[in-house]
Amino acid sequence: MKIPASETIRIAGKRRVYHACALLLAAWPAAAQKLPLGANPPGRTVLIIQSHHDDHTWEWGFGGFIAKLTGAGYTAYFVRTTNDEKDSAVGWGRGDEINHRESVAATRFLGVKDVISLNWRNDHMDSVPIKEVRENYILLIRKLRPDIVMTWNPWGHYDRNPDHRKVARAAGEAAWMAGLANVHPEHRAAGLEPHRVPFVYYTQRSDYGRGHAPNVAIELTEDHVRRKGEAFFAHNNVRGSPALAKSIRSRLDAQGLEIPELGGLTDEQAVEKLQKWSMESWSRQVGEQHGAKYAEVFYFRDEWDHLPGLAKYLRDNVVKR
Amino acid sequence: MKSLLCLLAFAAAANSKTILIVTADAADFVLAAGGTIASMTATGDRAILLRVANDDKNAWDLAPEQAAARTSAECEQAARALGIEKVVSLGYREGELGGVSPTELRDRIAFHIRLLKPDVLFIPNPYAEYVEQLDRHYTGMAAEEARHTAALRNHQPPLAAIGVEPHVTRELYYYAQPVDPRRREPEAAATFVPQPKVVGIEAAFSKKLRAARALKTIQTAAAMRIRQRLESTGRRLPLLDTVNEESVNKLVEIELRGLATLCAKDFPYKMAEEFHYAGPEYQVPAKLRR
Repeated sequence: MKIPASETIRIAGKRRVYHACALLLAAWPAAAQKLPLGANPPGRTVLIIQSHHDDHTWEWGFGGFIAKLTGAGYTAYFVRTTNDEKDSAVGWGRGDEINHRESVAATRFLGVKDVISLNWRNDHMDSVPIKEVRENYILLIRKLRPDIVMTWNPWGHYDRNPDHRKVARAAGEAAWMAGLANVHPEHRAAGLEPHRVPFVYYTQRSDYGRGHAPNVAIELTEDHVRRKGEAFFAHNNVRGSPALAKSIRSRLDAQGLEIPELGGLTDEQAVEKLQKWSMESWSRQVGEQHGAKYAEVFYFRDEWDHLPGLAKYLRDNVVKR
Repeated sequence: MKSLLCLLAFAAAANSKTILIVTADAADFVLAAGGTIASMTATGDRAILLRVANDDKNAWDLAPEQAAARTSAECEQAARALGIEKVVSLGYREGELGGVSPTELRDRIAFHIRLLKPDVLFIPNPYAEYVEQLDRHYTGMAAEEARHTAALRNHQPPLAAIGVEPHVTRELYYYAQPVDPRRREPEAAATFVPQPKVVGIEAAFSKKLRAARALKTIQTAAAMRIRQRLESTGRRLPLLDTVNEESVNKLVEIELRGLATLCAKDFPYKMAEEFHYAGPEYQVPAKLRR
């Protein structure tokens, strides 16, 4: 894919300019139809339901939008469904512990109030009954009464990760089933009333093919993107493999090239810089596609989208009390 | 004259088809396919409804047992309004099909296909995206598979022993309410290629409306939930200032007209329903079709 000149990083050497972004292993957002820029939905509480500690901080994640909402006064809660035991090089138990700690640290950059860990076994969600996971979410939805849920897309294609698939379906159902009193009627005895989540955002992995067609772009500021980058890199346990920087630098070196901005940095420092560039470039490119400086894209389910025959009528006829 | 009428009646009966409608819940088949079903039964086709879940959750201020009992009775009324001859309920609990063995569900549907030998099947479209009730997805997956296995002798061998022989259903309608933004994209050309199909339902709209209104428990709950959501956000819908039979019936009519208009968009109908359709011609490779 051709990368516009504004996206390049200057590399000094025999060739003066080199498209270093191609080396960042980032999947560039595919050319897409221009989407409407979505406003913050009305409300006070957002519940981010993810499979793993770091899902929201990837390029296609909700990080920038979370920062935007908390900046606008929303209270955010982050649900980490699995224990992330596989996502570590330091062993299961210790990895889980570190990932939880770093998850708390990362979400602080985004203004998240609390991290709720459900401790399901990482990469084993396929064999967990959907009803059990769904009930966890229904209980949390009834307790926290979010106006917005952000989660994986139940209709996403080509997602090989069993945790993403199970969380997507369980959370997608929980968002509306929490509004039915006859679903887990026992919750009422604990003071939890039914609550349907009116606004839902699903992740759109535009690097995963045509099953991920977003319908809204969220405009971000430089500060939102910076904080998302900080949150991404706060997962030190799984980020910043110096091997990536080493590999890039040795490949460039073999061609007589170098990235001046990385001069004098250790591989650890260099990889952090590369990944932050990658985040900035992605967010800027998505923004430019949709008429903003920076943006993220998602699939948005509006308040009445579940009632296709009534949605227009309700939009046209609902009035203030 | 009398013998001519008898002959015409006989000819009509000979051409009539048997339709089996598989639905997850009592509302979906009415809202997504009710007009088309009513049009078919009006011309003499025989229809049977296979209802998979018991609708025990979708109610307002009713215990699950009461909700299930009332909705069962209302589903019978809705089916009658569409000209459906019989309702068979499998009795699974609503919202819990994700925990049911897909093979068990498939085999129960396949049993009814072999028993009733339909010419036409209506099933929820399991590939329709953004349908939030996953029961519809699970039912669609099981029913699609059941259509296939019902035709094979080596599936459920004891059935043949009791005279319930394998059966091939020639026509298949996948139905879903129009929430999938990509629902009208044509499918790739391959051997089995259900294609988007839009059916005009103006003549049958009043029957569809009667059927939808018969589902009082579900419709009242929907109206109450809308009102509750609006009240909790400082808004109101004048129609629902009082929720009673009259206002719920009006809301149902608005919803059905809205659905019919959405489905008719870009087609020469005022009211329509949308399907993916696999008739006999779509079940052979495109290159051999001519």
